[in-house]
Amino acid sequence: MIRRAIFNTTAFRLSVGYMFLVTLAVAVTLGSAYLLTDGLITDEVDVIIDTELKSLQDRYARTGIPGVTDEINLRIDSWGRIGAVYMLVDSNFERIAGNVTHWPFDTLPAETRPEFEIATIEPGRRAVHPVRAAVRTLPGGDHLLVGTDISQGRRFAEKFRIAMLWGIGLTSLAAALTGFWFSYRLSRRVGDVTGTCKRILAGELGRRLPVAGANDEFDALATSVNDVLDRLEDQARTLRATFDSAAHDLRAPLHRLRTRMDALLLRLPPLEPAVHESIESALREVDHIQRTLAILLQIALAESGAPLASPAAVDVGELATELAELFEPVVRDRGLTLVDEEDTGAIVQGNRQLLAQLVTNLIENCLKYVPTGGRIDLSVKRLTDSVCLVVSDDGPGVPADDRMRAVQPFVRIGQSGRPDSSGLGLSLVSAIARLHRARLTLENNEPGLRVVVELPLK
Amino acid sequence: MHILLIEDDTEAARFLVKGLRESGYSVDHAADGRDGLIRATEGHFDLVVTDRMLPHVDGLAIIQIMRQKGITTPVLVLSALGSVDDRVKGLKAGGDDYLTKPFAFVELLARIEALSRRRSSVPDATKLKVADLDFDLLARRVTRGGREIELTARELKLLEFLMRRAGQVVTRTMLLEGVWDLHFDPQSNLIDVHISRLRQAIDRGSDRQLIHTIRGSGYVLRTED
Repeated sequence: MIRRAIFNTTAFRLSVGYMFLVTLAVAVTLGSAYLLTDGLITDEVDVIIDTELKSLQDRYARTGIPGVTDEINLRIDSWGRIGAVYMLVDSNFERIAGNVTHWPFDTLPAETRPEFEIATIEPGRRAVHPVRAAVRTLPGGDHLLVGTDISQGRRFAEKFRIAMLWGIGLTSLAAALTGFWFSYRLSRRVGDVTGTCKRILAGELGRRLPVAGANDEFDALATSVNDVLDRLEDQARTLRATFDSAAHDLRAPLHRLRTRMDALLLRLPPLEPAVHESIESALREVDHIQRTLAILLQIALAESGAPLASPAAVDVGELATELAELFEPVVRDRGLTLVDEEDTGAIVQGNRQLLAQLVTNLIENCLKYVPTGGRIDLSVKRLTDSVCLVVSDDGPGVPADDRMRAVQPFVRIGQSGRPDSSGLGLSLVSAIARLHRARLTLENNEPGLRVVVELPLK
Repeated sequence: MHILLIEDDTEAARFLVKGLRESGYSVDHAADGRDGLIRATEGHFDLVVTDRMLPHVDGLAIIQIMRQKGITTPVLVLSALGSVDDRVKGLKAGGDDYLTKPFAFVELLARIEALSRRRSSVPDATKLKVADLDFDLLARRVTRGGREIELTARELKLLEFLMRRAGQVVTRTMLLEGVWDLHFDPQSNLIDVHISRLRQAIDRGSDRQLIHTIRGSGYVLRTED
């Protein structure tokens, strides 16, 4: 899967965090504004109540009950503030004056700012109003209550609270949407980048990262990466050209040398047998040089990172069977046995010639090192997402410390290597495996060497 | 048999021309791509042998132009580029065979012989016969003097390859390519072992040997010694 799940992206995690922060900030701001405003309104109500109580108490001190009653009636009738509630009761809580019909409490309320509800008859409907009040007991044993209808403040607080909740909700929704959009956009662009990189790694060297033209940091990144890719592709091309000319410039003189020697052999009258013999042996040396050169170029080309040219479907099992059959008589001549076991349908994308060369080198490696009476096992297994090719023997094996070294060019392990071996066999195997993006491991076969080549199916 | 050799390496070309003439071919030599293209498209040759990297006109371009003009003369490509895809490109361009430099002269001779005889051979024959050796291609049955010979599928393919080229020298590389489809050179003497097995099966109990080893080049299946 090229595109990662959106929840699994840095952008998403960041936006979730961002959403929480924004929501928290909005909640704290609005919440404290609400609490402050609410407190302020209540304070104002309390100040008014206290002021009125004070003035009514003063009036009582000066004029007694009748004066207070007058004053209360006056306030109720004339200039009384909106929502003002007054009540004067005697020590038995019987109403003396006021705009409330009954004492709203059983006895004296315990709180300093008791709250209660009164019902008012307004045109067409009955309404219940919350009232905040304060009660003072007058020196004569009467009780004076001054209150304020706080329904407006309550309504305001309620509206404020709803507005606040909406605000918080909408903010977090907006934050979530932006976050999601951001992460979607980010992960899409990052997905484009990783997808393109994977395709480039898979060998589409000409591919470049998309530049959206938005002139943003992604475009800057894409442009820089593309520059790097341009240079890499350029280097690969130069390298390829260098290999080609090196191959040409080395092969051409070898070719002239060989042709000349061939011409000598074909000359009439024939050369003396001894001269003929030495020319033939020189020719064998030329062929050896040529073979080494070809392998070296092949290794260099594979290690240069150039992709596998024109891969096609190769049935590795079938190929292994054919090679086992090709090698069987030689293996038997050496006093060894070759056992092969292949799954059907072990098909990978690759180059048949190179894979055949890989298997050939592994078998020839066994032929070189496994003593008479030994056994070579060749197997191809189809796994879920790879094809596993194993060539193992019961020969002397390779010590653990040398296994990494064994695939390096010109390294011969142990003394049993034949003098004519180039020491390139396993490094060519490694190069071909790399070209096929396969994993090559050398293991202990207890006893012997076990070479595992795991070729990816895709 | 008239051969056109297009090769810009004059020294190598000199030896090749000499060797081919001594082997009984008449040879024209073109030293660059342009000259080679003109001669290949205007002259009448039985075979064209061309180097791949040439001045002016590339060897593969020459083949493509020849094929576009409907010239079916077999072409053997010689190349100092030996990687697997170079070979594929050479054959895709319309080349009939591909030989990587340096090569043994006998290898070149064997390939030239095979290409020149390919035109005259009958590809859709159902029976092959060399002396008293009979191969029924449809039934995949082989008899020698009426006696049936048991062969594996691969041995049958090997024998068919040799019988179709009866009288021609076939090199080990040609057998690896033609019978096993392997275009590289294993170090083991695989082909020798397979041939000696086949020879045992074919020639055993017969006073006349059919499969002969040609020292330094390869094998030939023929009646005469």
